[in-house]
Amino acid sequence: MAKIEPITGRYIYVPYEGEDYRVYYEEGGQGIPLVCLHTAGTDSREWRHQLCDPDINRNFRVIALDLPRHGKSIPPKGWWKEEYKLTAKFYSEFLMAFCRELGLDKPVIMGSSMGGNICLHLALNFANEVRSLIAIEACDYSPGWWLDWLWNPHMHGGEVAATSVYGLMAPQSPLEYRQETWWYYAQGGPGIFKGDLYFYSVDHDFRESCSKLNGTVPIYFMTGVYDFACTPEMTEQTAEKVKGSECIIMEEIGHFPMSENPVTFKKYLMPVLAKVLQSR
Amino acid sequence: MAAFDARWMERWQTLVNQDGVTKIIGRHLSADVLMEFGDAVYVVSFVNGTLARVAQNIGPETTYDFALRGPRDTWGKFIQPVPPPMYNDIWAMAHPLHGRLKIEGNVKVMWQNLRAFTWTLDLMRNVKE
Repeated sequence: MAKIEPITGRYIYVPYEGEDYRVYYEEGGQGIPLVCLHTAGTDSREWRHQLCDPDINRNFRVIALDLPRHGKSIPPKGWWKEEYKLTAKFYSEFLMAFCRELGLDKPVIMGSSMGGNICLHLALNFANEVRSLIAIEACDYSPGWWLDWLWNPHMHGGEVAATSVYGLMAPQSPLEYRQETWWYYAQGGPGIFKGDLYFYSVDHDFRESCSKLNGTVPIYFMTGVYDFACTPEMTEQTAEKVKGSECIIMEEIGHFPMSENPVTFKKYLMPVLAKVLQSR
Repeated sequence: MAAFDARWMERWQTLVNQDGVTKIIGRHLSADVLMEFGDAVYVVSFVNGTLARVAQNIGPETTYDFALRGPRDTWGKFIQPVPPPMYNDIWAMAHPLHGRLKIEGNVKVMWQNLRAFTWTLDLMRNVKE
């Protein structure tokens, strides 16, 4: 009997500002749509455990997409004519365009790192279109990562990108999964990690906007203690300013909970998903 | 023997040179690195992934490519078998948000060799005192 995971992958064309983006996504399970966002410079493989976890799949249709330029989602036409810099505007609007095109009814959005930070922008601008937000390793401002070393022809971009984030993972996380996360990072396109970090460290400055959130959408902040880019203190300080939010600090885990230690992450995630179900 | 003394450095050097992964990922790592553990200072010389020399007696004629400078206490946490949060990685300790470690000099060489170099530093946790 072959061992086959219950994950399916498809391509969808997402119209956005005159361009039809060919976007790859994977999904598993049935129920409330749960859209998962990968971290900077990588792709949807980070969510492979949650995509086929029967405890999650029972009540949630888990969907993980590759943003344009990531994984199997090709860049837009003429991509080589401009330096890639992800912005909050493109990221949030494109994401909602993807959800609309897929016909999702008020999805839960769950993202880590830059996928966590974008949740704040979604709460501000798309509160009526989302059910809940699970902002992992997120805070209102995360400086210090938009570095030229991450895109420099004098070095191996994949190895540099991957190693620069390796220490964001907890020593308690299984070595095999930490190395797997490293592997994903090593495969990003040239300049894509750095371009994503333009959003993460520059364009995403939400410090003056936290008070604008009115608490319409529940936001669950979840941060691992080994995250030195977005420390527990940075998340806690953000959560204090965001109405209707809850802050969960995760022990013995770092910046990539879903891929570096899916077992530990699940212990923290399931109670959050239970709350999402109860608020239906 | 205590952490960061000459014998401890010698044991770390042996671990690096016996390590199979370093042989694979470090074959292009050639650099002279000043390592400052508080008052214990060395220049360690990598040659094609081998930790060829550990030199003390740092003076005005000492040259090196880049330097890692941190207090002994910071490095002491780094080398714990399970290092505490914010101390498990040199970039974690040196990131502008934290500033527990200074990385100076021709840091481009370090970034070019980051994978192999940090792998060898992680081996410090296996040094038996």
